[in-house]
Amino acid sequence: MAAYKMSDDDMEYSDTDYDDYYGNDYEGDMDHMVPMKNDPEYFDVACLTDTEVERLLNESVEQLSNSIQVTPSLAKLLLHMYNWNQVEIVAGYRQDCHRILASAHVKPPQSTTAKDPGGENEGEIICPVCLGTIAPEAVGQLTCGHKFCKDCWSMNFEVQITQGISTGIECMANNCQVLAPEDFVVPLLKRPVFKEKYQQYAFSDYVRSHPQLRFCPGPNCNIVVQAKECRAKRVICTACKTQFCFKCGGSYHAPTDCETIKRWLTKCADDSETANYISAHTKDCPKCHLCIEKNGGCNHMQCWKCKYDFCWMCLGCWKTHGSEYYECSRYKENPNIAHESAHAQAREALKKYLHYYERWENHSKSLKLEEETLAKIRARTQNKVMAGTGTWIDWQYLLDAAALLARCRYTLQNTYPFAYYLESGPRKDLFEYQQAQLEAEIENLSWKIERAEMTDRGDLENQMDVVEKRRTTLLTDFLQV
Amino acid sequence: MANIAIQRIKREFKEVIKSDEAQKCAINVELVGDDYRELRGEIAGPPDTPYEGATFQLEIKVPETYPFNPPKVKFVTKIWHPNISSVTGAICLDILKDQWAAAMTLRTVLLSLQALLAAAEPDDPQDAVVAKQFKENHSLFLQTAQYWSHVHAGVPKGNSEFAKKVRCLQDMGVGEHQALVALSSCNWDVDRAIEQLFS
Repeated sequence: MAAYKMSDDDMEYSDTDYDDYYGNDYEGDMDHMVPMKNDPEYFDVACLTDTEVERLLNESVEQLSNSIQVTPSLAKLLLHMYNWNQVEIVAGYRQDCHRILASAHVKPPQSTTAKDPGGENEGEIICPVCLGTIAPEAVGQLTCGHKFCKDCWSMNFEVQITQGISTGIECMANNCQVLAPEDFVVPLLKRPVFKEKYQQYAFSDYVRSHPQLRFCPGPNCNIVVQAKECRAKRVICTACKTQFCFKCGGSYHAPTDCETIKRWLTKCADDSETANYISAHTKDCPKCHLCIEKNGGCNHMQCWKCKYDFCWMCLGCWKTHGSEYYECSRYKENPNIAHESAHAQAREALKKYLHYYERWENHSKSLKLEEETLAKIRARTQNKVMAGTGTWIDWQYLLDAAALLARCRYTLQNTYPFAYYLESGPRKDLFEYQQAQLEAEIENLSWKIERAEMTDRGDLENQMDVVEKRRTTLLTDFLQV
Repeated sequence: MANIAIQRIKREFKEVIKSDEAQKCAINVELVGDDYRELRGEIAGPPDTPYEGATFQLEIKVPETYPFNPPKVKFVTKIWHPNISSVTGAICLDILKDQWAAAMTLRTVLLSLQALLAAAEPDDPQDAVVAKQFKENHSLFLQTAQYWSHVHAGVPKGNSEFAKKVRCLQDMGVGEHQALVALSSCNWDVDRAIEQLFS
């Protein structure tokens, strides 16, 4: 156990990030000023509360309202319809204000302004909805001039709001698409519960139409994430810790892009029946044929009976998986496939898909199993500390290592859909080379973490550094979002 | 039912009955029960369509929130049309969904449905099988739609070839409408229809 006993020197390192220790090539201060400059996954986001978002939206509304002299309510509608692109609205408004207002459904197309139905006799207007006569002061109309009584408007708004519609409420006339702005709707709502609901739905609509904002998809999380650009980058919610892609709102998927991951997930859902057999958790030891259950995340397996080291994925001898020869992640296409029959081609296509699917699915399972490993590490640490072997701080690095492993394996998992859709060629060769390197190092790290008692801390930290470098290299070269 | 809904429906009911179209027997509406919650509509198949001479019955249900929500309308009479389900009679028409406006009336709905019979929207189908035939084998679609009008909607004359094929399946113990559906969706290929029915 001497290997774990920390010297005083080691203790000093454990207080600082291990990156600093290995990152000697940076100027000390620079390292803190631009800590993320070299990180291809770096993404500048802010997690905002509803109040902060409201303030942000209101600032835009006020700016637009001042610059083109319309009411804040109309400005808000315009911004919503134009995805909050103020520059476009202002430019368009200066050029042709009618066109901008009409295309945002703020005003009717010029020719179709309604003729006053009861025009000649102002006192005798009939509401086309309730068919009752309306007193002039009880008439409500939008810019299109279609007149309805205020009670009918109120009732219409309440029905629409009950159905979850807010910013999309239109005029009640046939074929009229003029939208009712906030300052027309809200005063006509009689019950506070509807006002509240309207505001709430409208707020969601505004956030959804805003390219720089996105709701955190975490359950019951009210955080809105703000980013300067809408890119497919990782966001971790500060409130609920949910990790997601800013652009598509789904699970984070680097280096694969949003469309590809969507295609992949759909394909996996469709083809799950054919791929179902893969979910078997047991395989036989290739040497002694003992049935082995995979109980950890690491793919480097060792038969407990014959001590044979093999790879869970390809069942080959682990010795050939030394980083230079590691090729288990690469799919070898049949070079003569073009000349084979359609049947053989279909089989080949399925084989290719299964190759990537198996690996994708396997890493997903490994991630889950490694969560259990984390619990085991905690228990083991506790035992060690109780037995007087080191302190909590001495063992902290194991938890860091497990977190790093999870992050790297997550990226590795997402390299498989990427590789599946990548066309053959030098770029794919390079990708698969880097993927193989990453995979080999990850399995090494996983092996070392599970058996941390037999390795020393320096070795493990070294391995952590190698893995993270491999991951960063791959992302730097291939993450294009 | 809310006051305004009843008021509106009563008024619209009269509007339809007194309309020019009703005089020409193009549209009609009747009460089902006495509370105006449910009505029975009727539209005549428009001229120069495979529905010419046919009369289609419609089920019209008036929701509590009428006229702020559209009435729920479906075909009771079986019809072969891309935007109407050949099985349930459900209709795919924008004004019965999100394009409804509170100022629309029963009369506008009935006339819009009649217009839909004359101008189908195969790219926005309710019945995918019908829409496929409409786009890929239009003449067969027209014949099929006409034959359905004959069988279900009171058009006197119908394709005798089709009648023979239906009878052939009926002799095998298949119900008449079931046979019609199978043959229509298999482009009147008897062997395929049999396969579909008995597999």
